Parts: sequence; structure tokens; C-alpha cells
Amino acid sequence: MTPGPGRRLIPAYLVTGGRSAPTGPALDRLAVLVRTDEALPPNAGSEQRRLCELLEPGALTVVECAAHLELPVSATVFLATDLVAGGHLHARPPIPRAGEIDRSLVERLLVGLRTLH
Amino acid sequence: MPAWITTLIAVCVAVWASTRTHQARRDAYGAATRVELMERQLKAAEARTLALGEEIRQLAEKRIPAAATALSHRSAPVPGLREAAGVEGDAARLLTGAVEAARTAILEERGRVDAAARSAMRGTSAKIQSLLNQSQHLLQELQHEYDDPRILQLDFRNELALRRTQATAVLCDAWPGLARQNSSLVEVVLGAQSRVAGYERIKVANHLRQERLALVARAAEPFAIALAELLANATAYSHPDTEVPVTVQQTAGRGALVLVDDAGIGMDDDALKRARTLLAGPSEVLLTELGDPPQTGFAVVGRLVARYGFSCHIEASPYGGMRTMLRVPAHLLTVMDDDRTLSVLAPKAVDARGPLAEPEPGARTPAPTAEPAGDGTGEPATGRTAGPAAGTSATGLPSRRRRTPRRAPAPGPAPETHEERPPLRTPEQAEASWAALQEGTLSGRNAPAPTASSSDDQGDDET
Repeated sequence: MTPGPGRRLIPAYLVTGGRSAPTGPALDRLAVLVRTDEALPPNAGSEQRRLCELLEPGALTVVECAAHLELPVSATVFLATDLVAGGHLHARPPIPRAGEIDRSLVERLLVGLRTLH
Repeated sequence: MPAWITTLIAVCVAVWASTRTHQARRDAYGAATRVELMERQLKAAEARTLALGEEIRQLAEKRIPAAATALSHRSAPVPGLREAAGVEGDAARLLTGAVEAARTAILEERGRVDAAARSAMRGTSAKIQSLLNQSQHLLQELQHEYDDPRILQLDFRNELALRRTQATAVLCDAWPGLARQNSSLVEVVLGAQSRVAGYERIKVANHLRQERLALVARAAEPFAIALAELLANATAYSHPDTEVPVTVQQTAGRGALVLVDDAGIGMDDDALKRARTLLAGPSEVLLTELGDPPQTGFAVVGRLVARYGFSCHIEASPYGGMRTMLRVPAHLLTVMDDDRTLSVLAPKAVDARGPLAEPEPGARTPAPTAEPAGDGTGEPATGRTAGPAAGTSATGLPSRRRRTPRRAPAPGPAPETHEERPPLRTPEQAEASWAALQEGTLSGRNAPAPTASSSDDQGDDET
């Protein structure tokens, strides 16, 4: 936030509002955030507004939002869970990486298919 | 002849004798008077000696200790002479002179001891400060590497420790120890907020006319330290359920003003008087005068006020507690360069945010009356829709082009169509379309004529 050497001025933990963990289900850093049509309340913080504006043109992952907001992912998660709880954002869990395929299962499936013929 | 001679002699002798007797009697009388006088003088001298002794005892046992106590406790009474009449002017003056001399000696010694204590603390706090700064850098790096929220908490604890150390250092006449660039006033206020336990209760309302109003480099950190101390007082002396509203505004004289209100317990007259004395920026504040445990807040603000030319005033707040006002003179203000972007966390100026702006519906301070809300509900969002795209390229980050521009910013019927689209097809729909495909394929295969295949393809495309 503050360029150059020296002490930063605004720390990221301000976003947490003194909470030790985000309220609601944990968000992965690759979870995809989508803006809903719920209007922000008038007393929404500027960081919440900024995040919603970021998502106006389309979905982004948490980690991308964090980079745009220049906040660490852990702080962005606080912000996002609040907005998800308020119905302003949808969060979609990341697509899990394809796991190792159980070879024996595939072989058995193949055998089964062949016997069908 | 002999007869009158004899008579004459007798008369002479008689006269002489009577004269002598008279003389002797007078001498005796004079002597008695002198003795009496001497005795009286002796008695008086004895009384004086006694009184003087008592006064010296009073000096040693009461007056000097009391005078010493009074140096640290202003309200302690200092007894005077025991009985003013018992000792004459000179002695009394000398005795009072002794008290004065003792006072001076104590003051000098206290000054020396205090200076020694301050220099010791200055050295220690400088070391601790640099260590804490280093851990802050490390914590920040960790925050960007790991997603554990506990790192944020750790960062906060570190910041609290840093504020304490820094305040102590300032109190001990150290340099605030940080060179900053010109920093946005709102950001500095947020920075101060982040250094205080209970920062979540502090609500900053930005009423600046110029959004990029900034503090000049040399005043930025001192201002943050001073404001952090005022905020710490406000949060510490008010109930944890109450808010601490902070208002940032520009004054008529091209200066800026930060108001801190609390709904706390307030201060009694003595405390208020003392606080004002400290806030006025006295030339020297002794550690020994700050009580035990030392209450450093106002003293720290006072030192910074004296050194950097801010001014600070405290009075009763309309919220029930105290209101402190920290004013920045025009010569310490500037406008930030355009190439610096403000932090996301910095609250937008109330006026700039438009009708949505009213920060807290009920009790907000002198909120400049926002227009009645209504027409512009979508205004801030649409107004800044262009922002992210521009910002994306400006930050120099690799930007990803998103596939679907979601919707035109036109409010109204648009949301409905948009609501239909993005939720992916329901299983029923999917089933229907795939069933249609299958059906088409089947009917195509079953159809004998080769002409049917073209229609088959079309059907495929359409599904």
C-alpha cells in the first residue's frame, strides 16, 4: 500500500473488523465470486463497494480480487464472506483438481462393458 | 573661732555625706534596673533560641519534606513558620530561604534523574521499535504467502506494541523515527485507527472537499501517532458497545480538522484542566509527573503539538463523553500526486459518494446534509463501472479477459434476464435437450432417405 521503504500506513487486518475468523463457510483462494443483483446497503464500506465494482463485469476468483484490491487473500476472504452472507455475492467453490483415477475400477468397468456386448 | 570652724567643717561633712548617700542610692537603683533589664533580655533570648530551635525542627521535619512532596503532588499543603511572631524577620527569611534552596536542589536532581530515565528508555524503545518494524515486514510477507487469518491477528498485536513503543519514544524526546512520503490525510487517519485496540468501533466519516488532501511528509507520522493516542483514549474510556465517530473535515482557513467523539465517562474538572495543560504542549514533561501507571496519551500529543505545530483541544462531547479536536494548519497540508492511488480501505468523501453517502443513519455528527435518497440508488455503481477495467491495466497486473460481459449497466428490466441466464441449465432442461438430440439422431438414422441427413445436422446445431 505505501510504496517505498518504511512502515506501511494501512494494515490489511482493518478489513477483519476485529474478528479472528471470517463468519460463514471458509472460502478457498480459488473460489469464484459472482456479483448478484442485491444492492449494497448505504453504509457499506468503501472496500466492499470496490469489490462489488470489480465483479460487475464478470466473475473473478478470490485470489484475483485480492490482487486487484492489493490486500492479502486472508483479508479478502473476510470481505467476500461478509458480502456472500449479505447476499451481494455468490461464491462457487473451485473445480477440484482431477484426482488419480483408480485403474482397477476403470478396468472393471471396461470388462463390464465388454460383457454387455 | 574654733567653734565656727568646727561648725563649718561639720556642715561640709554633712553636706558631702548626704550627697554621697544620695549618689549611692541612685547607683543602687540604676544597678537594680540594669539587672532587671539584663534578666529580661536573657529571658527573651532564651525564648528566641527556643522558638528558633522549634522552627528549625519544623523546617527539618515538616517544611522541607512537605515542599518536596508538593513538587510531585500539587495539591499537598506546604506549612509555613510555626509562629510568625516567635522569629524575627531575618531568621524567618533565612529559614524560608533554606526551604527554597532545598526545593531547587530537589528540582535539579529530579530533572537529572528524569533525563537519565528518558535517555535510557529512548535507547530501549528505539531498539524495540526497529525490531517490531522488522517483524511487521515479515508478517506482511507471510500474509501474502499464507491465507491463515491468524497472521492478521498477529500483525495487529505487533502494531499495538509498536504504537506503545513509539509513544514512549516520543515522550522521551526521540524522533518519531519514520520518514514517510506525503500521505493522504484519510489514509493517515485510517493508519491511526489501525493502531488502537477496539479499532472496529471507530467509524471514520470523510467530509473532505478535496479527496486527495494530504499531509506533508514530515508531519504524516507524527500526526498518526498523535491521533492514535487520542483514539486510544476514546476507545479505552468508553463502553465497548458504543461507537467512536471520527470526522475528517477541512476548515475555513485551509487547514484540516479531525474530530474524535466518544460516549464515555467524561472527565472531571481537575483532569480536564490537566489534560489541557498537557495538550498545550509544555516545554518539558517529566515522566514522574505522569502518575503511576503513567498516563502518556495527552503528554505524547502535547509533545507532538509543540514540535510540529498541530493544535489540539478537548471539551465535553455531545455524545456524552469527550470530544478531542486535532487541527492541522494549512502549511502542513498538500495535495497528493496523481500517480498515487488511494487505498481501497479509505472511505470515500461523503459528498463524493452521492445520496448513498449518509454514513450512519441516526446519530452521525455534523454530517453535511445529504440529499434525500431516491433516484440515485444505482448511481455510484454505474458511475464507477469503468473503474475496474482501467485500474486493471494501471496496476500492471496480468489481467484476464473475462468471457462474458455480464450486463449493460442499465438498471430496470435487465436484472431479470440476467438472473435467468447465469444459473446453469437445470437437470430437467439438460435432459430435455439431450433427449431431443437423441431423438433426432435416432429418427435421422431410421429415416431411409439420404436427404434427411442434412436436416439432421441442422437439428444438431440448433440444440
